[in-house]
Amino acid sequence: MKSKGLTFLLAIVSLVVAGAGLGKFVEPVWRATRAAEPALRLDSAAAAAGQGVTLALLGGFRALVADASWVRMYVAWEARDLPATETLLGLVTTLDPRPVYFWLNGARIVAYDFPAWRIETAGGFTAVSPAIQAKFKQQQGEAALQQIDRAMQYHPLSADLWVERANIQLNQLKDLAGAAESYRRAWQQPRAPYFAARLHGELLRRAGRSAEALAWLVKLHPELPTNDEGAGAPVVLGRIRDLERELAVPANDRYQPAR
Amino acid sequence: MATEQQADRVSPALELRGLIKDFSTGLRGLKLRAVDRLDLRVEAGQVYGLLGPNGSGKSTTIKMILGLLAPTAGHCEVFGVASTCVEARREVGYLPESPYFYRYLTGRELVRFYAELGGLHGKALTERVSEVIATVGLTAAADRRIETYSKGMLQRIGLAQAIVHHPRLLILDEPTAGVDPVGAAAITELILTLKAQGKTVLITSHLLGQIEDICDRVAILDRGRLMLEGAVRELVGRADRQALLVPTLPAAELQELRAWLESRGHTLEMVAAPQARLDQIFLDCVGKKK
Amino acid sequence: MMTRVTFSLRRTRLIAFNTVREAARQKLYGFVGVLAAAFVLGARSLRDFNFGAPELKFLADCGFGVMAFFGAALVITATAQLFFSEIENRTVLTLLAKPVWRAEFILGKFIGLAFVAGVFCTVVTLLLMQVLASREAQLLREFPDASGLGAFVSYSNVIFAGVLQWLKLAVLAAFTLLVASFAQTQLFTVVTGFFILVIGHLQYLAQDAYARGGSWLGRGMSGLMATAFPNFQLFALADGLNVGEALPWWHVARVAVYALGYIGVACGLAVLSFRQREI
Repeated sequence: MKSKGLTFLLAIVSLVVAGAGLGKFVEPVWRATRAAEPALRLDSAAAAAGQGVTLALLGGFRALVADASWVRMYVAWEARDLPATETLLGLVTTLDPRPVYFWLNGARIVAYDFPAWRIETAGGFTAVSPAIQAKFKQQQGEAALQQIDRAMQYHPLSADLWVERANIQLNQLKDLAGAAESYRRAWQQPRAPYFAARLHGELLRRAGRSAEALAWLVKLHPELPTNDEGAGAPVVLGRIRDLERELAVPANDRYQPAR
Repeated sequence: MATEQQADRVSPALELRGLIKDFSTGLRGLKLRAVDRLDLRVEAGQVYGLLGPNGSGKSTTIKMILGLLAPTAGHCEVFGVASTCVEARREVGYLPESPYFYRYLTGRELVRFYAELGGLHGKALTERVSEVIATVGLTAAADRRIETYSKGMLQRIGLAQAIVHHPRLLILDEPTAGVDPVGAAAITELILTLKAQGKTVLITSHLLGQIEDICDRVAILDRGRLMLEGAVRELVGRADRQALLVPTLPAAELQELRAWLESRGHTLEMVAAPQARLDQIFLDCVGKKK
Repeated sequence: MMTRVTFSLRRTRLIAFNTVREAARQKLYGFVGVLAAAFVLGARSLRDFNFGAPELKFLADCGFGVMAFFGAALVITATAQLFFSEIENRTVLTLLAKPVWRAEFILGKFIGLAFVAGVFCTVVTLLLMQVLASREAQLLREFPDASGLGAFVSYSNVIFAGVLQWLKLAVLAAFTLLVASFAQTQLFTVVTGFFILVIGHLQYLAQDAYARGGSWLGRGMSGLMATAFPNFQLFALADGLNVGEALPWWHVARVAVYALGYIGVACGLAVLSFRQREI
């Protein structure tokens, strides 16, 4: 019995000592893992996501539970269940913040579908006053932007998130200046779409900042490949010419393309 | 080889001195003594019987010899090596009671597995495996799965794995339990062959007739203690009496013999017809010789 | 004088091979086949949702989840069953009556079980790669302009994830074997194995509790849990990345050393415990 007791004690001590040493060795990996996984940090977002987080963590299935929750979210979305959709969107992005897809589609649902559902719940588009409808759009638009901002913590170099931000600012919040700035930030990210740069210039023009728009497009045009139709170099050149006429730029000072 | 033979002459095959084994009962301070100060000495080349009723400590003693249990006190040595050392088991072959082997293996795979564990390799391994399988008479069934074997075949394949690695001491726990007389006779014959080869055999059995036939010495245990130990011939024989076997005498001649004995101060205590053994009659009937 | 019987890798390998053979002939591998088929069928049904490129992420997560869940169940039950069957059937008596170290028996058992887990992870990983490749090719045909939304799979990532899952299962097998070495019943071993699995996944909470401080008892308990048990969340490294993103190799290497460290300690303690076990 004495020998068994000593063996048990030795076992505990060995595991603790080895575990402490091994834990120190693997600490950099754990820090990196934890930083990328809000579910592991158990911060307020995780707490709000509720028991689904705990279940997912027990077996190490957080990614799988996130996927299953996404499917469940679609079921709630089809039923136009706003509280359930909102909760599940929170759970999914807490458990698995990797895919930009979750954040983008989530933001779109929040920005565009939620206002429509709220209006319908409040009586419908003919019954609810335009002021109230605008208020719903404003509130949901801002909520969607907060979601995008959270997404950017995990995807700081995502052009798609900046584009989505710009779209929501433009379509729901009618914030031309904000949208223009978001398109500009999108253009700065790797693998940015060409239209982001063009839209930045266009929105500057619509906001009455034509000189800025012209300077931007003149700086942009030489960077655009001529052999890529998607780059829209002729379209940009056309817009430069329109702005030069609008601003009555003298012929000698007009932009001359290098080729 | 000479050194080993000299060592054998010096070290008994098995020596137990003051062997004690206590088991915890789970109740504070209360222990169950399964083996109580057991002293035994088995010389090399003997067939030694270990007898006793159920619960007498035979299995516990065997497990201590095999190093499966550690003695609470005392010493247990196999050819001079402590039984708790792995080295001791190189010289031991063990056939457990009601042997259960890996069902999915064939007989040949099973013997080969244990032969490799016993230290055999290469060509010597293959040859030895075939040899022992032939010795136990299972060549025809060697490539069948163990799960298809009868009780007798299981015992024989068990014997094969016990002897495959050339052990000097064989421990056979109830080797003929549940086996028919023909099979039992074959196993008995094999044991005697092993003895002739110089092996030491420690055998436990409840079939006392069998023990009497093949063992040189026996020890009888009860409640963990040694009750009786000695040569079989001495224990069962009566030193102060003789039995003479003669053809059946007519009444007058029998009377003459009785008178002659009485004239010399002796008494004819018993006249009876000798009895054949039922197992011998059975074997003769089914065509096997003992 | 008898020559010494030294520790033998050959005997250890024999016992390991016998363990694998027993697992195979008990149709534990059939379980893998059924599982793999279920995965393939389940994966095909995801096409009905028409997620497009993110479907690849769903497929990968499903594969890793299958490996984690069923792999754990397989390893815990196989370890308990393959160990206790030797004791209950008394084949361990015949085996240990040969010149075999108890350490060789334990290590042989572990290596056999780790091999079984390795085959399982390999089958599921290869199947997952095949399903991903097939679906990826289809999606690229449907969406030729697809960009970074999971349209491209890093297959080295999938392989690393499979290796990490295997290491986790090997650690779990080692701890379950440690429990089996002193447990009296198979049921106790299986239940304790599942407890270790759960504790391993929540071990980081004990780390946090220890760091937060508190009473000496609480700190002691949390410190004990945080060190004595491995952190299984570390082995889900692949969960922290997009399917197109490769795992840093040094992360994998460190986690591998971590796993081997715990395996060494658990197996060593299992040997120590089994040496004292009365058979």
